[in-house]
Amino acid sequence: MDSPLDPLVLAVVLAPVSAFMLLALVAPLRRSGRPAAVVSILGAATAFVSAVLVWRGLDAPLQRVWTWLPDANGALASVGFLADEQSSVMLLLVTLVSLLVQIYSLGYLSDEPAPGIGRYYAYQSLFAFSMLGLVVAPNLVQLFVCWELVGLCSYLLIGFWYRKPSAARAAVKAFWTTKAGDVGLLIGIVLLWRHTGTFDFAELRQLVDGGLVGIDGLALITFCIYLGAAGKSAQFPLHVWLPDAMEGPTPVSALIHAATMVTAGVYLLVRMAFLFALTPDVLLLVAWVGAGTALMAAMLACAQNDIKRVLAYSTVSQLGYMMTAIGAGFASAGFFHLLTHGVFKALLFLGAGAVIHAVGTNDITRMGGLARRMPQTMVVFLVGTLSLAGLPLFGGFLSKEEVLAAVWDGGMTGPFVFLLVAAFLTAFYMFRVVFLAFFGPETSRESEHGGGHAPHDAPWSMSLPLWALALASMAIGVYFTFHHPETAFEAPGWLAPLATGVASGGVVLAWLTFQRKMISAEALAQATGPLRTAAARGFWVDEAFVAVYRGMLMALARIVGWIDRYIVDGVLNVVSAWTVSGGDGLRGIQTGKVQDYVLALAAGVVAVMWWLRGAM
Amino acid sequence: MNTSYPLVIESGLFTLLLAVFLLGLVRRRADDLLAGWVTLVGLAGLTLAAWSAEPGRVALEGSFVLDELSLFGKRLFLLSGLLSVLATLAMTHPSFRRRGTEYYVVFLASLLGMLVLASARDLIVLFVAFELMSIPLYFLTGFLKGEDAAPEGAMKFFLIGSISSAVILYGLSFVYGAAGTTNMAAIPPAVAVGDPLMLLGLGLMLGGLGFKIAAVPFHMWVPDTYEAANTPFVAWISIAPKAAGFVAILRLYVEGVGEAAVLWVPLIATLAAVSIVAGNLMAIPQKNIKRLLAYSGVAHIGYLLLGLAAMSVSGVGMVLFYLVAYLFGNMGAFFVVQAVNGAEQSDDVEAYRGLARRSPMLALSLLLFLLSLGGIPFMAGFWAKLFVFWAAIEQGMYLLAFLGAVLTVVALYYYLVVARRMYIEDPAVPTPIPVPAPLMVAIGGCLAGIIVMGVYPEPWVQAFLRVALTLFSTN
Repeated sequence: MDSPLDPLVLAVVLAPVSAFMLLALVAPLRRSGRPAAVVSILGAATAFVSAVLVWRGLDAPLQRVWTWLPDANGALASVGFLADEQSSVMLLLVTLVSLLVQIYSLGYLSDEPAPGIGRYYAYQSLFAFSMLGLVVAPNLVQLFVCWELVGLCSYLLIGFWYRKPSAARAAVKAFWTTKAGDVGLLIGIVLLWRHTGTFDFAELRQLVDGGLVGIDGLALITFCIYLGAAGKSAQFPLHVWLPDAMEGPTPVSALIHAATMVTAGVYLLVRMAFLFALTPDVLLLVAWVGAGTALMAAMLACAQNDIKRVLAYSTVSQLGYMMTAIGAGFASAGFFHLLTHGVFKALLFLGAGAVIHAVGTNDITRMGGLARRMPQTMVVFLVGTLSLAGLPLFGGFLSKEEVLAAVWDGGMTGPFVFLLVAAFLTAFYMFRVVFLAFFGPETSRESEHGGGHAPHDAPWSMSLPLWALALASMAIGVYFTFHHPETAFEAPGWLAPLATGVASGGVVLAWLTFQRKMISAEALAQATGPLRTAAARGFWVDEAFVAVYRGMLMALARIVGWIDRYIVDGVLNVVSAWTVSGGDGLRGIQTGKVQDYVLALAAGVVAVMWWLRGAM
Repeated sequence: MNTSYPLVIESGLFTLLLAVFLLGLVRRRADDLLAGWVTLVGLAGLTLAAWSAEPGRVALEGSFVLDELSLFGKRLFLLSGLLSVLATLAMTHPSFRRRGTEYYVVFLASLLGMLVLASARDLIVLFVAFELMSIPLYFLTGFLKGEDAAPEGAMKFFLIGSISSAVILYGLSFVYGAAGTTNMAAIPPAVAVGDPLMLLGLGLMLGGLGFKIAAVPFHMWVPDTYEAANTPFVAWISIAPKAAGFVAILRLYVEGVGEAAVLWVPLIATLAAVSIVAGNLMAIPQKNIKRLLAYSGVAHIGYLLLGLAAMSVSGVGMVLFYLVAYLFGNMGAFFVVQAVNGAEQSDDVEAYRGLARRSPMLALSLLLFLLSLGGIPFMAGFWAKLFVFWAAIEQGMYLLAFLGAVLTVVALYYYLVVARRMYIEDPAVPTPIPVPAPLMVAIGGCLAGIIVMGVYPEPWVQAFLRVALTLFSTN
């Protein structure tokens, strides 16, 4: 049972939490700023190195559990880890991005006061621990606990600038929206436990393989679990929190809202794919919602002028891709896309952060001509863009093609068409950003960060992670362009040229419109007509929520409020008045006279005798 | 340490007692802490010895056993004694310091009584051990002669205690009459056939034991005694003699009785319900924190009886868990009370106003202790309550578990009233409260206890279930 890898897996999870404990408990260290950052980065580096060793050394799945809450027959809940192919590579992604983001934040947050930096790194370490705990969770209880912790950290980090009202509002919105999904997840987990009697992934898998899981009622369970995943992974209509979450610091968006937390939902479905396979109806729903989300979010991304919101919608769209592949029954394709996407989307966010840091605005129409000022940033951003667009030799090429192949092979023509259109739009909106921000005429502007200086490339702490991620994206792209991994599904021969062609089409359209100005952007917008208006308003999803909230929830709340005020409170007031006066009355017994005490004692003995009279 | 001789811990304690006594004869100084430190070191050694002792030996022709339950009791008594002595070292009253040696000698005598009691398998040994434990307690309650309340509290405690001892002795005579021997092994067969004399005797003894554990309606002495006595001592009697009472109850009413134990269920369940309700309700109007903790302690005894009423392996195991969780939570709370009393000369809840701003760590400690006592998740007390409810529900006692759960809300109310004083109100004086080093160590130990048991209860539960199993499997 013991394996030399055990301590390494534990180190991956425990290094960040140790850093967090240190920062949380030692207040002077936390308030000191940079030393706190160093502690946190060391924790992340330890986790990363251990994750690499685990990934290299793992040849068979490794599971260790310790009982947490005991029960007369076995454990009610246990904690531990399950290191297998999926979780070890996921560990690698999470620790890598986490480490690079923490290094990057050194430069990005250099203007923050020291206590703020300490607080930021404490949250970062706690987040890393929660996410890693989620990834290695061998059972649904630990997964759920970590899931909630991740949500909490997301809330704390989005609202990091809590004095900014929009940030505070976005934090609350993210929390409640994902929470709505979490309720579903919790119900699903409990129902599943009732259904099978176990929380453990390995045991569940055995039950499923042995055909011991009844199909009746299973669809409801998988649907509830999917709800949780949809909330975290921003599926329509629960995606509304993600664009608003961009109010947080940009490195946070790179870590949480691109590479890690939002992928938790996808990861959960990948983990439970064997169970979902029993409920094809739910899988169909997953696929259609995923494809719809991918297409809708891609349209929305075309209508944004805020660089981070473009990336946020793009993340929603790519999550839709992953979900569609899972829905088509090929979770491995979705998982593959999750991994590559994690790398290049983190790169794009960090690149966007470098731009924002330099020019002091999020608005792409106020950028322009940055290529000359920030050549390094331009190069890495372009690498990320090409990866996202899915062009050969770049990170997202093969994984996107695999998703398309999986969906096609799953016989889902409708979602396949959706995804293809989304792929076209992806290339279009990303190159729109590139042409507007980096090329074209230089807009006159006042730099807020540079104090009047012209924008320039970022300091080493920021550029190092950028280059690392860019190289990783390239390496993934080049490697997988020539080495196709074995897959369970068949990719038709025409697919690669088609995908490449569609993506190139998007690039060309963007080039013609925003670089050569041969097509008027206005005319293009006009041509899409009402669709564009709708996209600009986010397809009124937020408005729909508000309407539901105002119309139904508020009405319900008023009724409940009335009941609460006059009936529940009334009852409670009466009961508490009784309780307090009962206490006062009983106090009267305590006279302080020994005679009375003896009387009570005697009465007690008599009462005991009376009780026993039947037995005697 | 290999304890081939079963009485080794008791012998060690007796030697320590003699050593402290002789020390007091030799050194006569107004302000001497040496006796305290000697007691502390001796107790620490004995605690370690008790931890490494192995169960499974018998002495004095079966009157004295060293089994799992007795080891549990000994460890608990020694640990609580150790914590109490630590806190006692921080006592600064001149009248206390002058007679400190006397205090420790009598304290150790009482502790010796408890240790013997934990192992007693003979009615006479049991009774003698009970008296050896109790008589020093009466004396120690009135130890601070100068304080107005002390002699009165001690007198009341002594009178009621004597009467309850008389009741125990009276019941014991019936048991002897029915069994024909003082060996406790004779009890289960007589209970099983429903011998009325035996039941009468055990019923009377339960009344007397109810006094020792302070279950309603035998609890009257508790608030007066707590208010009168010095706080480190109160911290100790709030747990150790009660645990001793529970050990005796387990010996007399559970061990080896098997199926016949069901007989006691309605009785114990009633005592539990009455104690939970009355203890919690009476705690609400209290203005003095020691009285508040006294009444809340009565309620906790009710919860312990609730676990006992389940009369199952898990029920008894959870009672033991509860005792240890209660030890850390309650002693810790009393230690904070002692620290505040040292600075404010008051035990009123008023005195805790703005404590969070004066001494944040002290306030946080008290908050955590109160939350543990109140049963908030990830504190030891949460699992303790959950486990006893669980045990009760397993035996189908839904109503009792429900009653207990509802009354925990009341308990939270009066605990949080203290928290509100500490955290929301402004302090009358802004100066921090000095905490002597030994007291700080004692508080830290209790904190560690509630947190460790709260975060990772598993090994403790397993150990206590093992102890409980021996009570049901012997025979």
